[in-house]
Order: sequence, then C-alpha cells, then structure tokens
Amino acid sequence: MLFTKRAALAALFTLSAAAGFAQSKTLDGIQNMHRSALSPIYAGNEVKGYLMFAHGDKADRKNDNYLLDFYDQDLGKVSNITIQKPANRFTLLNNSFNGSAFAFYFLNSKEGTLEMETYDTSLKKLGSKVIEDLSKADKMVLQGQLQGNTGDAAVMGGAMHLFPVPGQGFVRNSYTGMMKGFALVMYDDNMKPKWRFASDEKSKFYESIGLTEATDKYILAMKMRRDGAMSRQMTSSMVAIDATTGKKVMDMPVETSKTEQLSLSSFTFDASKREFVAVGEYYRLDDKPFVNKSLGFYIKRFNEAGKLVGTKNYGWQKEVMSLMPAEARPSLEDNYVNYTHSIVKGSNGKLYIVAEQFKIVGDGLGIALTVLGGRGASVSKGKVANMFVFELDPEAKLSSVKFYPKNVTNATLPAGTGFMSAGLLGSIMKSQGDFDYQFMQRDDANTQFNVVYINFDKEKGEDAKLYIGNIAFGDNGKYAFDKIDMTTGANYSYLYPAKPGYVMLAGFNKKKSQLGMKLVKLNI
Amino acid sequence: MFRLVLLVCLAALHFLPAAAQDQPYLPYYSRDTAQVYQLAVAHRNAIKDHLVVPKTGSSEYRDHYRKIVKETSDEVFNSIRYSALLDPTVEPYVQQVFRRILAANPQLPATAKLVLSRNPQPNAHAVGTSTVMLNIGLLPRLENESQLAFILCHELAHVACRHMQTSMQEHLLAVHSKEMKREYRRILNSEYNISSQIKALALGFSLNSNYHHRRYERQADSLGYVLLSRTSYDASQAYRALELLDTIDQPETAGPLPLSAYFNCAEFPRTFAAAENKPKSIFTVKAAEKTVLETTDTLKSHPDCAKRMRFVRTLARDQVAAGPQAASTPEFARIRHISRLEVIQSWFDYDCYDHALFDALLLLPQQPQNSYLRSVVLLSLYELQQHLQGHTYNEVVSTISPRNSAPFNDLLRVLYDLRHDEFKGLSACFAQANEPGQADEYALAARYAAMALAAEPATAASLKAQLQKQYAGGRFEKLLFPVPPTKAGAARH
Repeated sequence: MLFTKRAALAALFTLSAAAGFAQSKTLDGIQNMHRSALSPIYAGNEVKGYLMFAHGDKADRKNDNYLLDFYDQDLGKVSNITIQKPANRFTLLNNSFNGSAFAFYFLNSKEGTLEMETYDTSLKKLGSKVIEDLSKADKMVLQGQLQGNTGDAAVMGGAMHLFPVPGQGFVRNSYTGMMKGFALVMYDDNMKPKWRFASDEKSKFYESIGLTEATDKYILAMKMRRDGAMSRQMTSSMVAIDATTGKKVMDMPVETSKTEQLSLSSFTFDASKREFVAVGEYYRLDDKPFVNKSLGFYIKRFNEAGKLVGTKNYGWQKEVMSLMPAEARPSLEDNYVNYTHSIVKGSNGKLYIVAEQFKIVGDGLGIALTVLGGRGASVSKGKVANMFVFELDPEAKLSSVKFYPKNVTNATLPAGTGFMSAGLLGSIMKSQGDFDYQFMQRDDANTQFNVVYINFDKEKGEDAKLYIGNIAFGDNGKYAFDKIDMTTGANYSYLYPAKPGYVMLAGFNKKKSQLGMKLVKLNI
Repeated sequence: MFRLVLLVCLAALHFLPAAAQDQPYLPYYSRDTAQVYQLAVAHRNAIKDHLVVPKTGSSEYRDHYRKIVKETSDEVFNSIRYSALLDPTVEPYVQQVFRRILAANPQLPATAKLVLSRNPQPNAHAVGTSTVMLNIGLLPRLENESQLAFILCHELAHVACRHMQTSMQEHLLAVHSKEMKREYRRILNSEYNISSQIKALALGFSLNSNYHHRRYERQADSLGYVLLSRTSYDASQAYRALELLDTIDQPETAGPLPLSAYFNCAEFPRTFAAAENKPKSIFTVKAAEKTVLETTDTLKSHPDCAKRMRFVRTLARDQVAAGPQAASTPEFARIRHISRLEVIQSWFDYDCYDHALFDALLLLPQQPQNSYLRSVVLLSLYELQQHLQGHTYNEVVSTISPRNSAPFNDLLRVLYDLRHDEFKGLSACFAQANEPGQADEYALAARYAAMALAAEPATAASLKAQLQKQYAGGRFEKLLFPVPPTKAGAARH
C-alpha cells in the first residue's frame, strides 16, 4: 500500500526510519481489522493520537491478552498496555481523553458487565470500575453498538459512552427499564462517582438523552421525550447540566411553538457570548415532515439563565434563496431537507453551519410486504444528497451559502420511520451512519475548519471508486475544496480524523496481514 | 600554413580539458543502463557461484541456505542495478584508490570489487561475498584520500575475513540448532503467551547475532588499519576518519537555513521563524518506545565510534591525526565538490525532495552562482507542491524526529506548515534573486517548474515543448511529464 520510490530507497539502502517512512506506519501480523480497532484520541478539538485495540494470544486457561497500542498525532508509537481479560469476550466500546486522563470503556460479554479503566498521561493506571447492574435497555443498546451503530445522536438506538469533561472526569450514560428513562453518572479521573443525573422515575413520559458538548461550566445535552414506548410523537429539549454539581441549569423544549413545528438539530454553547445556541428547521404547524418541505432553519439563543435572548428564522425562499447558488435550487425543489451535522463559531465571530441534504422516499417492495403482512420490512428508503455550509456573520445575518454537489447515496430505514419527524429521522440516519459526512475537524484556536465526507465517482459506481471530499474554511475567508482518491490497493480502507490540516487513511491488506496507516495533508 | 593550422589545433586540444573543467559540474546521467545491468548481473552471479548450497545438513537447513543466497544475491543485484554510479570522474577516482589498496595488499582476495553507489547516506558496507559498496554520500564528509582509503580497508577486511559468509553460517546453525528447535517447540506447546515468548526468543537471537557483529567490526578495524599501513596512505588518518563518522549525522554547516533570504519578498511576505514547533504531545510517557537494540551501546551491531577510536589509537600507538585536517589536494577537493552535487541529485531522484532542498539550500551560500543548485531548489518546490496536490506529501517529506539535525527539522516544520498556494510565492521570491541559467537541461526544467508554480500555463507549455525537443528522453521527462496510467486499481471500502 505504501510502496513508493522513497520506500524502495529505504529498503535498498537501509535508510534511517525517519528518512524512509514519513508520517506513515505499517503494522505486520494483523489477522483481521475492523474500523473500530483504531480510534482517534482527542484533546479538546484536536486529534492528539490514536489508540489501537487488538486481541492477542492466550494468556491462560480463561483469559486472552488484549493490547492497547498508543500512537501520537504523527503516528509515532508511544507505548502499549497489555491487559488480560476473558477470552474472546472483551470489547473496547470507546476511548476518551479529558485533558488529564484517558478512559477506556469495555464490554465484558462473559460476565455481562461494563468495565471502565482510567490512566494518566504517562499511561499509569488511575482507577477502574465495573458496572454489573445493566438494564435490559442497556443490553439492547450495547447489542446495537456492537453491530456498528455509532450512536452519535444518542437519541434513537443510542450508545453507551464515556463522555470526557475537562477538569472534572467522565460521564457515563445508561438507560433504565425498557428505554423508559436515562441516568448520567459523573466519575472523577480515579473512577470515583461524583454525581448522578437521571430522568424522573415517576414521570409518565419516556425520555432519552444525548450529550453534545462539555464547556467550562456546563454539560450540554439534547433530550427526547415520548408519551409512551410506542409513541411516535416526540419533543426535543435543550438541557444544560452544571458540570461540577450535576444540577440541572436548563431544560427547555423546542418543538412546542404555537405557530410552527420545530426540529432540533444542534444544541451548543457560544463561550464568547455566554449563550446557548439551538439550531434546527421549522415547518408550518399543520405540515407533515417529508410530505411538506421545511420552511427554513432557525437559530435560537438563550442566556445562562435560560432566557430566550434572540431568535431568527432563515427561510429557504427568502434569506437563503437569495444567496443560494443556482445549481443548488433543483435539489431544494426535490423535497430534500437538511440535516445539520455541526455548528461551529470561528475566532472571527462567524458562525458556520454544516448541513447535508436527505429525504425519505417510499420503498415499493417494503410497502408491498407490509400490505401483505410482512413484518420488519421497511417502507421507506433514505437518500443522501449534497452538502451545504451556511455562514452567518457576527450579527447573525446569513452572509454566504456554499453548495457542494455530491452523487446521491442510498440508505435503508427501519420499519415505521417514515412517519417520524424531520429531526428524528435525521438522527436515526445519523446513528446508522447513513450520511456521507464523516467528521468535522477544527484547530483549538477555531481559526480553521474542515468538513470531511466520502462520496463516489458517478461513472465508477457507488462501491468502486470512493473519494474523500474535504471542504475547508476559516478565518482567511476562503473556502477550499479538495478531493482525495481513496484507492489504496488494500482490501479495506478506512478514514479517520487527524491533526489539523490532515486526514488519516488506513488500509488493511488481508493477504499480507498488514495494516498501513498514513497521514494525508489536505490542500487547504 | 598547414603547420600553423596544426599548431592551432594542438593548442586547442591542449586547452580543451582545462576548459571542460571550468564548466560548472552537472550530475551524471546516462539513458544507457546496459552497463549497470551487466555489472549487477555479474555481482549476483558471483555470489551464487561462491555460495554453493551444502549437500549435508537437514533439508530445512539447505532450503534456508538457498533462500538466503537468493535474497543476498537479489539484494546485491538490486543495489547495483538501481544505484551504481558509473560516472566518468568520481567512479574512476575511487576505483584507483581501491586498486592501490589491493596492490599494496596482494593477500586480499582478487575477487574483491568496489561499486560506487548513488546512495546519499554517508556510509559504506561490504555485501555478498566480495562486493564493497561505497556510498557517494560519504565522500563529501571526508577530508582526504587517506581517510577514504581507511574506510575501504575496513570493508575489505570484512571481505578478507569472510565475515558475511561466517555470519550467514552462524545464523543458520543457530536457527537450525537442536536447542533452538527445542525451545521453539516448547513455546508452541506452552499454549499461553506465545507471542511474548517468541519475541523474547527473537530478541535473544538478535542480541547474540549483534554480539558477533560487534566482534567482526573490531576485527575489521584492526585488519583495516593493518591494510592501510601497508599502503602509501597516511595511516594516522584512520583515527580521524572515525572522528568524522562520529558526527556524520549532523550537517556540515551549523546554524539555521537562511529561508527568509530566499523565500521572502515584497510579493510574498512570509516569516519563517514563526513556523510552529511540533505540537506538544498529550503523552508524558518517559521516552518513545525503543527496542533494546537502540537503547544501549553494548547491544548495537557497531560499537560506538568513541570506542572504535580508542581501539585504533591503541593500534596506532598514539600516532593519530585528530581534529580538522589541512585542506585536501585539489583533486580530492574536486571529488568532494562533485559528490556533493551528486548527493543532492540522488536525494532528488529518490523522491526525497526535502533532503534535496535542504542540501541545495545549505550549499547555496557557498556557491551562490551555481545554477544547478538554483535549479534543484525550484524543481524540489515544484515536486513538493505536486505531491501535496496529489495527497502524497507524506511520502516525500520526512517526519520531524530527534534523529534529524535541528536545521533539517526546522525546514520540515516549514514544509508541513505550507499551504498549497504558498508554493507559488516561494518559487517567485526565490526565482527573483536566483534565476536559473538557461544553458542546460536542469535550468530549463527549473524554469518550467517555476512557470508551472506561477500558474503561467502558456509559458510553461512553451518551456515544456522546448525541454521535450532539446532533451528528449532526458532526466526529467518522465518525472515532469508522466504519462497517465491507463488502468486504475479498484478500491473497496
């Protein structure tokens, strides 16, 4: 995969490793590779390293060796930890770093427990905790998570995470009953519990929560509430929790306007203005999402006391249309709506909203099967289309709309989802990994951003010729687009976030039992 | 009249070599690779003829022996095929030194051969059974011919002592020994922690192997010194040669590169001092992971130069040359000068544009009028930009590492910090004060590169046509104007 003239020189001439292999790494003896075996380690906004979790050989009669290999942001090997855990029954769910400690969240399938371990930055063990009392809902969620559900939205389907909170520790989420409620528990770096925040057990509603951001004081979350287990009517709430005490600071529904129906796509905190920011789309009150188009997107701002201090709608036909490139208009008229992936504020005061178009179309076969009494068949298919970047100036005026056309990709939705609201459907597609959008990267100074997605060349087909699209923007005021060929010659190729200005490509060559990793510098 | 014409012709012939010497040197290039190929084949065959698979021993042992012979002969073939430098100046010069050593030491094997390699790394080594590979990168770092002679004597000592063959046999005997097989079986049967046990076994094997290598190095130093003493070269320079090897990883010129002087101008004001340091790691693990072989001197294949120097000092009974030596002869100075340029070209040819750029910029203050160096700077910038655009930058720019010299790491920081559109500015600023000449292929290629970077398609196209016409099949044709591949491999996600 990484054969180059330079590598050949290294092989022929025994060049030093530094000269021969630059920002790349080849690992031999890898028998199998799944995307989740390698995960980036974030410190704040930036990728500062990678963790590779590997299953080694037998340690004793009951246990196997599991390897945690650490690499820095340049793919230089840092160190490794070997742990002995139940044979073939131990999985890393996720890793997180809160600035002072690393936390690893494992599923011990043999014991039916979750295990958390923390290490300091010298990789000395700080603490550990075993969670034994898993609810049925927890187990359901874990099952989905093992099958590849990313659980980014942590709303439908969800996922079990250890959410890093700088200066505080890590928050563990769990589900109660049959997804009736939720609980959040904050642990310090030594895995000592600090506080618990949970849904009201006496409440008649079903509630789930997804953490979105940790600020200097707050932990932000989006909460979904339903009337019952089978109810499709949901309301979204913006929740802010005091990171130190676990007390609720804010809990405010957004989809209960008297004049319009709202969906919530994002809930963040603007540290410079000390305001909470909610972004979503709005519909007429009597409109049906995906039958009728949304009217536009909105931004609502709240102060730290939870008081609404500003709201603004940006109508597709008004504010947005005047700035919309001509080539983007047909897709708007084709019932596509936007899913907001990320909202970031630059150090220049501008707000950037990254969205991707999607829509739901009827699946003839699914409908037929449903009519004939088939169970579990989907009646809806999702389609994912183009990317947008909406730019708002510091006065919240829409100043630019950037359109990035893509080839349409298809998604299969679970049965019954066609009747759900826009925000919820987007969340489901997000948690299933249906969008082409992969991640957004930004530097710690918030001066440079780039959005990474995967698409394909139309003439080659959806599976044959994948490429990485990169949209870069930031304080220099320029928007740059970069297209990276994902063809590596490997059996399986994976894309990971990397340090600012780069992405990391990994390729697994099964025949050679070799994993190649390389950092690709972006043209931004 | 006829006599006058004859005199003029003779005079012209007399002055011709001097005039040729005054011409600025351009790295050697030949499209004809037949000679190099034949040389490579000859060395490969020599190894195969010499290392005959023994008729005794287990079939495993013989298969392994056969495999090693093949690998060794292929390695020698490839090294020569893709790196031998058969230029008309440096190669004859080093061969003459080699012959002088052989002539003074008739007991040395007559089969011993020297191959000058384009490898830019400052090193030399003996391979196969009788081949000494001398890297062009070593020559600029030596001060005189005696030091070169010592290096060659050291390698010839390896050949004379049959170290490569002995090493191979020891390796094979160890691998196929009853003890090793028993231990290997025991590990496989132990069922648990096999991986760590195999690693420990391999490490022990490596340590043992390195112990033997160190013993060979000491022998080679000892015999090398004796061989040198029998020549007319100055044997006291053996010590100095080791002194130079001790600091060979550092650049010859200390101090930072004057990047602002070359790449900062009114059209492209840029400060290079501000290039950010490597971002601080979140890990506070004491040291980056190193193998045992890297950590302690006693476990390296070569002893530290300081120890070797002490050993040579003893051999020489303190009659050693230490510290910088007086200026070398004009002939050796010219060889060093030419080798420096060949080293730069080698870095460039092997896609190490960071090294090519670094070495050219390091040399430019001493030779500001050297059109070749200017050309290399522009061509390196162009290639770096092309690789950045093609997302293969990581393949041509080294990692910032403590193993590199500080000025080289500084340059790497700048390169990693550069944006795609900044190459245009760098090239424009550099070309303003350092316009390449127009008389040769390198200068023409550099002018094309500068125009391509400046996004001047019309001028670039004209220069391309000129280059292709004047230098068809030349050094830069495939590099600058590659023919796009017809088939692309399919990728799976």
